[in-house]
Amino acid sequence: MRNSIVKIVSVLVLLVATTTSFAQKVVSQKTSISFFSHTPIEDIKSSNFKSVSTLDTSTGDVVFSVPMQSFEFEKELMQKHFNSSDFLDTKKEPKSKLVGKITNLSQVNFKKDGTYNAEVSGELTIKGTTKTISEKATIIVKGSTIILKSKFYIVLADYGIAFKKGKPSTNIAKIIEVTVEAEY
Amino acid sequence: MKRKKIIQISLTLLVLGLIAAGSIVYYQFNQPHRNIQESKTDFSFSSSQIVKEYLANPEGANEKYLDEEGNSKILEISGIVAEISEDFNKQKVILLKSVSDNAGVSCTFTPEINVSANQIKIGETITVKGVIRSGASYDKDLEMYENVIMEKCSVVSK
Repeated sequence: MRNSIVKIVSVLVLLVATTTSFAQKVVSQKTSISFFSHTPIEDIKSSNFKSVSTLDTSTGDVVFSVPMQSFEFEKELMQKHFNSSDFLDTKKEPKSKLVGKITNLSQVNFKKDGTYNAEVSGELTIKGTTKTISEKATIIVKGSTIILKSKFYIVLADYGIAFKKGKPSTNIAKIIEVTVEAEY
Repeated sequence: MKRKKIIQISLTLLVLGLIAAGSIVYYQFNQPHRNIQESKTDFSFSSSQIVKEYLANPEGANEKYLDEEGNSKILEISGIVAEISEDFNKQKVILLKSVSDNAGVSCTFTPEINVSANQIKIGETITVKGVIRSGASYDKDLEMYENVIMEKCSVVSK
C-alpha cells in the first residue's frame, strides 16, 4: 500500500517536472490590432502596433496587453473622442488585456509547419470591465516563427462603452470588428 | 426704407454668423493631429529614470504624463540602444534600455522620420523625442516587465 503511494507520488512528481521542463513561453512585440466600425454615416478604422503578447506552446496560454493610447485615427477629433472619459477613458485605463487559453491545443502542432484552427477562450478586459469571450483563431507555424491571427466582434455596450449623445453616438457602430495579428 | 435696411443688416449678420459657425465646426471636425516633433518637450529623462518612476508609482506617473484626450506628454529620453526592429506597419522600433534595468523605453519612429533612425546601431547612446503612450510595469499574466511606450519619435541627438 505504502509502496504504491510512493509510486503514484513519484509518477506525479515526474509528470509535473516533465510538463514544466516543456513549458515554452514565446513573446511577441510585433503585433497589430485594428478595429473597424461601420455605420451608414461613416466608416472608422484604427490600428495599434504596440501590443505585447505571450504564447505558451505547452499550456496554450495566450496573453495580450494593449496600450490604448497607441490607437491612431485618421482624424484628430476621433482620436480625442476615443481617448476621452466618455469613451475609453485611456488615462484611467491605459491598457486592455486578454488572458486566454487555446482550448483545442491537441489539434495544434507547434513543432510542425502548417496552418491550424484554434479555439481561444478567456477573459477580455476593456476599460476595466472583464467579459468572458470565446473566439476562433488561426495559428501558422513556419520554422521557428509562430503567427497568430484572429478576427472577432465585440459589443461596445458589454464594456460600458457608449456615447450618450451627439455625433459619436450616431457615427460609431454598436458592434466593432477587431482584427488581431501577432508574430512570435 | 428704414425697415428694409434693418432686414438687410440682420440677414448679412446671420449669413456671416452661419459662415463663422460652419468654419468652426469644419475646423473642429478636420483639426490636424498635433505635430510632436515641432511641439515643445515637456520632460527630459534617461530611460532608467522614467522606468524607475513608473515602477515605483504607476498611478502618479499616469496622472503626470497621460492626457485624457490622448495628447500625452512629449518626452526626450536618452538611453542605450538595446534592440532595433520593425513593426507590422514597417515602422522602425528602437528599445532604449540599460542592462541593469528590468524595463526600457520602446520608441516607434513614423515612416516620414524613419530616416533619422536608420544610422543608429546597438550599443550607442542616443536621445529620442516622442509622445508617451503608456508606462512601464510588471504584468503578472505576461510574466514579464512591459516597457514604457513612445511613438512618433525622432532622434534628437547621438
